Amino acid sequence: MALRAAVLRHIRLPVQTLPAIGTRPQSQRSFLRLFSSHDDHLTKEEVIDRVLDVIKSFPKVDPSKVTPDVHFQKDLGLDSLDNVEIVMALEEEFKLEIPDKEADKIDSCNLAIVYIYNHPMAG
Amino acid sequence: MAAAPTRIDVLQLYRSLMRVARQFCDYNIREYTKRRTIDAFRDNKILTNCSQLSAAFSDGKAQLEVAKRRALVYSLYAPKVKSIMDIKPS
Repeated sequence: MALRAAVLRHIRLPVQTLPAIGTRPQSQRSFLRLFSSHDDHLTKEEVIDRVLDVIKSFPKVDPSKVTPDVHFQKDLGLDSLDNVEIVMALEEEFKLEIPDKEADKIDSCNLAIVYIYNHPMAG
Repeated sequence: MAAAPTRIDVLQLYRSLMRVARQFCDYNIREYTKRRTIDAFRDNKILTNCSQLSAAFSDGKAQLEVAKRRALVYSLYAPKVKSIMDIKPS
């Protein structure tokens, strides 16, 4: 026990108070780095803007009718094949791989925005 | 003759063909595959005859297999220089 305490006393570094490097708040903040891989998650506005851009650039869609609530088949007059095309275009824009089951459910702009916003890999 | 393909099967085939199209390295072949699937599926949208539907569906599946093999082989010999159409304007 005494040996252990002696070894630990040797190994443990004494606590030092670091000298204050000026009192500028900026320098203190620059020492703090967030290494989380999740801090570049997209904001809701960014997702909405990009989704609307993708839908407006679809050739069969009238851009003036596109709102965040629009339904692809009911409001924009598209059919299920166009639905698949739009989901593919969204996959390319956000670099995602949406499985078939989920992609079949994405029927409206709202659902697309919610799905992409909640997807952890949206880029 | 196999039973007529369901709506879900047709949409899945459409999606698989579009996904395969994305895997091609060559811009021209990629765009052709996309155009051809869109045109073929639109033309066949009006079919109602069961045997015609099955024939078109199995034709689509065969084309999907061909496209998958071609995409694999093309990727082995991918050109080093990207086509100008692939480069996004910065």
